[in-house]
Amino acid sequence: MKQALILALITFIVPPALGQTFRSDDPVWIDNDSAIDVKNITRHKLSDHYDFLIHSFGKTGDLTPRPAMNVNTVGEVPDSSWFQNRHAMKRMSIEELVRGPNTGSGPSMDGPWFVIGAKTEGITPGFRIRDSRGDVYFIKFDPPSNPEMATAAEVISTKFFYAMGYNVPENYLAFFTRDQLRVDKKATVTDNTGRERPLTEYDLDVILRRVHQSADARYRAVASKQLHGTPVGPFQYWGTRPDDPNDIFPHEHRRELRGLRVIAAWLNHDDSRAINTLDMLVGQPGRRYVRHYLIDFGSTLGSGSVSAQKPRAGWEYIWEPAPTLKRIATLGLWDKKWVRVDYPDYPSIGRFESAAFEPESWKPEYPNPAFLNATDEDTYWGAKIVTSFTNAEIRAIVKTGQLSDPQAETYLADTLIERRDKVGRYWLTRLSSVDRFMVIEGDLEFQHLASQLDLAPRPVHTTEWFAIDAASGTRRAVAKEDWGIPGMIFMVEITSIEGTVKVHLRERHGDLQIVGVER
Amino acid sequence: MLALMLTLLLAPQEPATEVTRTEELQRAREEKALNLQPPKRSFLEKGLFDLKEKRLVERFQEGFGGFHPFLGGIKKGSGFGFGTSYDITNQLKASAQFSIKGYQKYEVVYTDPVFIHDRLFMEVRTSYQTAPEETYFGTGNDTDSDHRTNYLREDRTVAGQIGVRAAKHLKVGVHSGFLDTTVGEGRSARIPSVAEVFDFTDLPAIQGQPRYVIGGAFLDADYRDEPGNPRAGRRFLARWSSFNDRDFSRYDFMQYDVEVQQYIPFFNKRRVIALRAKSTLTDTGDGQSIPFYMLPTLGGSEDLRGFADFRFRDKNMVAVNAEYRWEAFSGLDVALFADAGQVARSPRDFRVRDMNTAAGFGFRFNTAKRVFLRIDVGFSNEGARVFMKFGNVF
Repeated sequence: MKQALILALITFIVPPALGQTFRSDDPVWIDNDSAIDVKNITRHKLSDHYDFLIHSFGKTGDLTPRPAMNVNTVGEVPDSSWFQNRHAMKRMSIEELVRGPNTGSGPSMDGPWFVIGAKTEGITPGFRIRDSRGDVYFIKFDPPSNPEMATAAEVISTKFFYAMGYNVPENYLAFFTRDQLRVDKKATVTDNTGRERPLTEYDLDVILRRVHQSADARYRAVASKQLHGTPVGPFQYWGTRPDDPNDIFPHEHRRELRGLRVIAAWLNHDDSRAINTLDMLVGQPGRRYVRHYLIDFGSTLGSGSVSAQKPRAGWEYIWEPAPTLKRIATLGLWDKKWVRVDYPDYPSIGRFESAAFEPESWKPEYPNPAFLNATDEDTYWGAKIVTSFTNAEIRAIVKTGQLSDPQAETYLADTLIERRDKVGRYWLTRLSSVDRFMVIEGDLEFQHLASQLDLAPRPVHTTEWFAIDAASGTRRAVAKEDWGIPGMIFMVEITSIEGTVKVHLRERHGDLQIVGVER
Repeated sequence: MLALMLTLLLAPQEPATEVTRTEELQRAREEKALNLQPPKRSFLEKGLFDLKEKRLVERFQEGFGGFHPFLGGIKKGSGFGFGTSYDITNQLKASAQFSIKGYQKYEVVYTDPVFIHDRLFMEVRTSYQTAPEETYFGTGNDTDSDHRTNYLREDRTVAGQIGVRAAKHLKVGVHSGFLDTTVGEGRSARIPSVAEVFDFTDLPAIQGQPRYVIGGAFLDADYRDEPGNPRAGRRFLARWSSFNDRDFSRYDFMQYDVEVQQYIPFFNKRRVIALRAKSTLTDTGDGQSIPFYMLPTLGGSEDLRGFADFRFRDKNMVAVNAEYRWEAFSGLDVALFADAGQVARSPRDFRVRDMNTAAGFGFRFNTAKRVFLRIDVGFSNEGARVFMKFGNVF
């Protein structure tokens, strides 16, 4: 395993100053982590209590400061079974953003839905149905106190996470009446003690009695389409699966998981923990591999799934000894900022705001090793993705939540826009945000993202050109006109008060190719 | 490892021998494929996993063969209690409880029959309860704490109530019942029995306890946000009961219980000022009196912390409580509290200056929905007392 780690390190992490280490296939844009057939993999479920304990009271994973491992030489994450570069890299249309991962229109209303399983325990009632096309969906509801809240949050966040590049389920808003449901002959229900028994129509009535019903007797729910493949358990935010040959980068060193911290902060995904992920074994025999999903976005935005989001959510871990002791010792006179945050009264949104939001202070429910490891490069990457959404795109995605109160919808979109800007203002300015490099007619062109998004003034940049000696690794200043010598690596240093960005180029087939970016 | 990396990175590479990054990744994966192992769980993880997956807590609460174990809940002064209930049907439950002081309680409860409409509620219960060492300090507000005595009390009860949820937050109903009490010599080895310290003339019904037929009505307007762990809202309770002596015609009386609770939240409900006032007033006709063991009481974990359970008794009681609660973390609230209360022969005798006072602090271990463990430390002019209870105070 150690050897694999070393190989992984030398494969992707390349100090661009050492230009001679660029390989012929740099930058790698596809990490083919479905290459090895997964023959024997165990379905491994996690204990969420254990997950909470080890992260709250111990240290997990490798927390040694180091760059992310699965980044290519231009600082991006190659496509893989974890992540696909989407909107931030290749602009998606409004239609594509609104459609998200959905391949259809949700459960068919052409025939009855056969309920094939249900759970009666807990505070979030729900069941599984099979529609007339034979597709299976998980049906999840809003808490009675907050109609539309959890279902809107789930659908909206699904669209965002998909557009950002993560694997997510197809989550549809569904509206139905009691007549739509039939209990399947083989359906079972699991009671509070785990006992299974045949499901009855009465059980369904009991479940539906606990959820909100509109004046026209309809129920609103999220229909989450069953993922393709065989579930093999959640992935953790640290280590690798010992039974997956393709999983070689420790998860706490994967950029898409480290950078998720920024994205989770933006969307207030405080429940970003292992239990809300799922690995699926997909592919045909002989070509099977594991695809990694983020699931369950009911606790995002202002929703806490079963009620409005807790005021603490996003601000403080469930267990933090220092503030706990301070509160006890000061008789509660001392506290953190979050206890004084005001929230507007939108039951369909819950608790979500932007005025007090501090992206850098945001926290999930308990420590997440990948988030803890996030470097400025990782958070810059995350911020670049978050800020890739325009106001119009955000409003279009928010609309898919079908909030009946137009003021609530406007508020939610405005809040996301303001939070996006705060994310960009903080994390795009920790490093120089010169980016989107292109070689046009032999010249290197770039954009300054922070100023382009009106988040920071554009600083004055100086640009210097160097040639890198492949043998010695030394560099010498060259004139721009001398670029393009075959076999040579060139470096452009773009310097401003924000810092320096080094861009490496090489000649290939008569063109200059950007092969490395170091921030 | 770093040295190896640097060596590999710094070494000039000949194009002819170059291994691409894609090839290197593939090699790393092929190498891992030779050493695959199934995921393993540590001992702790396995235990916690089984706890959840096998629903051990739920099964424990669900019980065994219909029996449900539970803690606490006998009556004030019983000491640590435990017991089990048994579901005869969904509506009919039987329970048995015991405490370390030898208190016992056996009860059968029939609740909310399925044929009753959602807005109506009904409950019938019958119970036998024995308290071998219920404490008595004398009657009145100025009794001496050194005069601590005890007596045995046995109650046999049949009681029922039926009511309607008149509105979302409002319940009204009537109640009735039959109470047969036996009082005897206290069983405590540490303190004397009542008859050893007090005259029989000070102890109405000590020599013969009446059986009561009870009737009355109640109202409960509950606007609290979360009844098991309220942080906002208010509650108003009123209950009228008529106790009719069926044996001696000397111990008839009326009892009026009122209670008002108010919760004032601030800082996103992470701070709460909780206020409560409650009073029990009784009224007897000419020539009637109230058995000493039926007198309203004051003191202990529920109303006047810093004093012993049942510390004060008389025909009328008033108590006020104020708590400042603040959240230390999601699972723990800390509280500072101040209690005041008085018992009096007549409501006209209530005086602020005569109030017995206590103050203290407490820890409330909770979920969003309920307080499951409360530790209160109360201080008064009679010393300090620690109370550990499996539930909230109000």
